[in-house]
Amino acid sequence: MLNVRTILPKAFVAGAFVLLAGMASAQCRSFAKNKCVPELAPYKFNESFNAAQLAPGEEAEVKLTLYSGQEYRVMVCTHPILGEVNWKLVDQNNQIVFESLADNPKHSFDLKAASTVPMKVVVWVPTRPTSELVHVGCVAVLLGFKE
Amino acid sequence: MIDMRTSKWPLFIAAAAFLAACGGEPPPQDSLNVENGLDSATLAERMQKTKNIFYNIPSPMETAALLKKAGAEYNSKILNDVKNVDKYTAASAQALNLGVYGADLSYASVFNHTQESMFYTSCSRKLADRLGVMSAFNDSTLELMQAKMNDRDALLDIISETYWNVDGYLKENGRDNISALMIAGGWVEGLYIATQVSSTNDSPELRQRIAEQKFSLDDLAALINSYDVKDTRLDGVKEDLKGLQALYADVQQGAPGSGTSQENGVTVVGGGGAAASLSDAQLTAIRDKTAAIRNSYIN
Repeated sequence: MLNVRTILPKAFVAGAFVLLAGMASAQCRSFAKNKCVPELAPYKFNESFNAAQLAPGEEAEVKLTLYSGQEYRVMVCTHPILGEVNWKLVDQNNQIVFESLADNPKHSFDLKAASTVPMKVVVWVPTRPTSELVHVGCVAVLLGFKE
Repeated sequence: MIDMRTSKWPLFIAAAAFLAACGGEPPPQDSLNVENGLDSATLAERMQKTKNIFYNIPSPMETAALLKKAGAEYNSKILNDVKNVDKYTAASAQALNLGVYGADLSYASVFNHTQESMFYTSCSRKLADRLGVMSAFNDSTLELMQAKMNDRDALLDIISETYWNVDGYLKENGRDNISALMIAGGWVEGLYIATQVSSTNDSPELRQRIAEQKFSLDDLAALINSYDVKDTRLDGVKEDLKGLQALYADVQQGAPGSGTSQENGVTVVGGGGAAASLSDAQLTAIRDKTAAIRNSYIN
């Protein structure tokens, strides 16, 4: 038989989790929009919102296509609470075209495509072995192009 | 009969009046709060989860800009008629056509057909509103567009931001399937415009751009397939994309180059690659299939 006293708190916690996740995502978008998109200038933002709440040790990957003759700016923007992250841009053969490590971070990379190429941005958050309490923070990967 | 594509002001005024009733701003960025600290057990559980994978599908604006660079011309006759907007009553049809009108809006705006941009904005606004995306078009969007009608770059920025807001709002509210339908509708309309323009304004550059859509088609299919939701419309879109993938299977997509060099301080990637191309038969087959899919979305 269903026990209301145990189900209700669980439902409440589940509902609260969904609500909080939605709020965190909205805040992530707001952060990216206000703090990151302006830094793409003079490149035009391509409107794709690729962002996630990541914790130390976690990884995200963005697959993209760069078109021949076009100039691009790839940007990885991280909320300060998370600290610097590692990221790299790799080609279809998994060859690293550009890499930025947390101890010497670069937040954007400008490039031009001679031919149309599928590429991938891989972001990973360094682990923090000395801390038991870690924070989750917004990481956005943005692409700008020149018209 | 009144042609709504040329008779612009009544719709614009109606849309402006409609807009005045809406509002809502995204949360201020300064209020960004992170989740509470995680203990090591919770962290380990998070890390067990699948890695976050995103697919950067070219936006309607990016596609329209590529078409313009490839020498395409503007043809308003191929766009979805604004009169159709009231036909879309199901949420799935609204989402698909929000993408379609969004692509038409980007095409009109990139080619500097500002007044038509306003009509497609009002169509997009109507559909977004019916989908409950109230905050994506804030109170001043249309007024701002009107004020910037003669400033093409500013207008493009407003459109980009609006598209981004709609997509973000849908994803944040667990309506990823609606977002996926909107993205698919926009992508199909972009390919439809390109293939239709190629029938009157054919060029090797345009064919190359159409052939290269093989890359984004595969990414779009992967994106749509990543949604584990029961949605018959989404299943239909999956089948549509499969049909296109079958036609693209034999397309010479070119060999992406792997050479990297420097040009005026900028890194150049993809050196030594070959350009994609399309035969007449392939172009005709893709054009016909795309038109059939697109017409099933707008009718």
